Amino acid sequence: MHLAKGYNLKLSGRPLPELEELPTPRQVAAVAARLRFVKPRLAVNVGNRVKVGSLLFSDKSRPEVQFRSPGGGTVSAVNFGPRRRLQEVVITLDAEEEPEEFPRISKAEFASIDRRRLIDLIIGGGLWPLIRELPFREAARPETTPPEIFVYLDNLDPFHPLPQVYLDGQGDLLAFGLRVLERLAEKPPVVTACRENAERLANLKDRVNRPFTGNYPAHDPGVMLYRTKTSAAENHAWFIEGQDLLLIAELLKSGRFPTGRVVTLGGPAATRPGHFRTRIGAPLAALTDGRTAVGEVRLVAGGVLTGNPAPRDSHLGLFEKALVLLPEGNTSGDFLGWTLPGAQTPSYSRAFLSSFRRRREFPLDCNRHGGLRACIQCNFCTQVCPVDILPQLTYKAILAGEVEESLDHGLLDCVECGLCSLVCPSKIELLKTLGQAREQFYEEMI
Amino acid sequence: MNPVKRLFDSQRHRFAKGGRFEKYFFLFENIESVFFAPAVVTAAVPHVRDSLDVKRFMFLVIVALLPHYAFGIFNVGYQSHRASGLPLDFWPMVWVGLKTVVPMVAVTYAVGYFWEALFATVRKHEISEGLFVTCALFPLTLPPTQPFWQVALGISFGIVIGKEIFGGTGRNFLNPALTGRAFLYFAYPAQTSGDAVWTVLAAGRVAPVDAFTGATPLAVAQAVESGSIVQAWSEAGYSLPTLFFGLYPDSIGASCTLLCILGALFLITVGVADYRIICGDILGFLAAGTLLNLVASPAASPYLGLNPFYHLMVGGAAFGIAYMTTDPVSAPALTGARWVYGFMIGMLTVVIRVFNPAFPEGIGIVILFMNCFAPLLDEIQLKARLRKRIPNVR
Repeated sequence: MHLAKGYNLKLSGRPLPELEELPTPRQVAAVAARLRFVKPRLAVNVGNRVKVGSLLFSDKSRPEVQFRSPGGGTVSAVNFGPRRRLQEVVITLDAEEEPEEFPRISKAEFASIDRRRLIDLIIGGGLWPLIRELPFREAARPETTPPEIFVYLDNLDPFHPLPQVYLDGQGDLLAFGLRVLERLAEKPPVVTACRENAERLANLKDRVNRPFTGNYPAHDPGVMLYRTKTSAAENHAWFIEGQDLLLIAELLKSGRFPTGRVVTLGGPAATRPGHFRTRIGAPLAALTDGRTAVGEVRLVAGGVLTGNPAPRDSHLGLFEKALVLLPEGNTSGDFLGWTLPGAQTPSYSRAFLSSFRRRREFPLDCNRHGGLRACIQCNFCTQVCPVDILPQLTYKAILAGEVEESLDHGLLDCVECGLCSLVCPSKIELLKTLGQAREQFYEEMI
Repeated sequence: MNPVKRLFDSQRHRFAKGGRFEKYFFLFENIESVFFAPAVVTAAVPHVRDSLDVKRFMFLVIVALLPHYAFGIFNVGYQSHRASGLPLDFWPMVWVGLKTVVPMVAVTYAVGYFWEALFATVRKHEISEGLFVTCALFPLTLPPTQPFWQVALGISFGIVIGKEIFGGTGRNFLNPALTGRAFLYFAYPAQTSGDAVWTVLAAGRVAPVDAFTGATPLAVAQAVESGSIVQAWSEAGYSLPTLFFGLYPDSIGASCTLLCILGALFLITVGVADYRIICGDILGFLAAGTLLNLVASPAASPYLGLNPFYHLMVGGAAFGIAYMTTDPVSAPALTGARWVYGFMIGMLTVVIRVFNPAFPEGIGIVILFMNCFAPLLDEIQLKARLRKRIPNVR
């Protein structure tokens, strides 16, 4: 598949493909703060002893959506946010961590295992939320059979771990994971990766059955589905990210809750961007200490365009594999900056001289770069939208309260890639409006 | 530190909450944001945003219009000296042009800014830069003899009725500059039409010298009853290069086809104007012109037989195509609709020019007319487009 629409952000601070091993942190956490569509019910209290893989919290309405402890030790803090929403469960690690024992599947057993039993094993091991369902991207519904399962090894949202780094030496585990998915979907999963990266690793090439080229977000399963689906029956495809699949494979193979994770640190404010092997739920400080530029820096967990801001003292969430450091950029612009040629001003548009230069990377910051205006129909959002929504019209339909119309526009096809908000010269929060409408629709549906 | 920055910093407390001019905070902020992009950071995903803002977007249109002002100043002086029988020396001509054009632009900007600032302050939002484009376009479409009070009235109508009452730039459905221009055309026909209004005469003169014709090429064309229009033009002194470079009596800066082509190419290159509208316009002009050529008979008006390329070269056609039809706010949003929109503008302009004796030039009115149809064209294409989507509604 080739995605001609979309856009690749010209961001500096790309992580090097070398993997660095980080020492075991003193504490880890299960993060609930940045989970969508999960209403956590806490299963532990401060002071409780937990093993690796003990239940920490689960979803109030969906018991199969469990979040288990990424470390063994003592629950040292349970942090709540506004309106007493659970943020994090922090565990101070013991020197010798005790693991929870889960059933392990031998090769012979796997050949004859029942699909339902396999699902129960994944749910029981606390890794079911890693398998997600389109279009809302909440945990998959185990009672249904998906029309398709997408596995995406590459994530183009800057800067995610490269498959050639995190899959190095994990070929067998990946193969086992893919067989598990084949059992779940009752058909082989669709494995996607950037064509360039897929060809770098010998054992990857054969596994990837749908390589892609083109711009961000070509990797996204929602985009992949939109480009390939032939009927509305396929809308509820499942998907899982490559590294998450390795966790499920490890759980089933070893009977232990997996704790390792390859994450990246990148962005213009990262002084030593790179790949790091650390623990799930590691403190952000373990990554940022000694690798952050001076000045005000914003931490974005989970990619520049789709990630959320994370406080400095928080931890990596279960889904977050990329930490991006962006300069805050809260300074006013150059004197009459809008009249300058802009050879150093990166832009999606061609309104600056930089568009006619070949430079690839710029140190972007969190400045909004302009005041809020009404839509002027420049159509940039339409040009970038990877799923052919007309974001400016969909946004107007939502604000006018026309839910049906916004659905006709393809609101549920939206992959929330963030490009419409990124390119908007009027600085309209298109993604926020579309995202909130999707959330509202989800809440009304269940 | 920049002295302007220091000035703003030293005055900010007067406009902040509790300050003496608290009410005018938005005005202060608006003026400051002209000089320095505000230090506002993103509050929602995605956390980085593109460097392009509306200010830059609109500024590029003004950049494209600046050569028209240079040309307009020269041409107003040049026509004035020709009509008054004065020697054609460069600097005296430029001086006449400056004397005529600069006060008109100043009046336009002062009045336009007043209305925009008033609405922005009352509505507590920032001044939208669309205003500056409107105020740059408006004087270029006026005859150089327009009285200042009419200029002020015209831009007021354009800004207030054409834009602000609908909510400001982005929510208007008519092109504000053309709305103001059309208002003057209908309210004060004596000062906006005829042969005399297009030339500024030297002080003390009541009529141009005998050799000078004040009629615009379009007026000349409409008056031809038999024979060739091109010949009538050359008798009036309008050779092909004269028409192409726009050196004839007309509105201030709209007549130069060369600059319009360069401006349109510039706007397409920087991504401000949509080539679809421009191509649609040109195709419309050529299609209508060719069609009329085909039905032209010796008995019919010679206007029917005019080579369609001339239609693009005379009057406000090129200016309208490059700067007025490409206004993204009043044009349709969808790409297919933009082709149709442009094509219809081209067709209708030629039809009005040839068949309607009341309007020597029709493009302004036609653009406003098609502005009204833009939502309909969008709706038609949108319906067709949505039908092709595989539904995803749960």
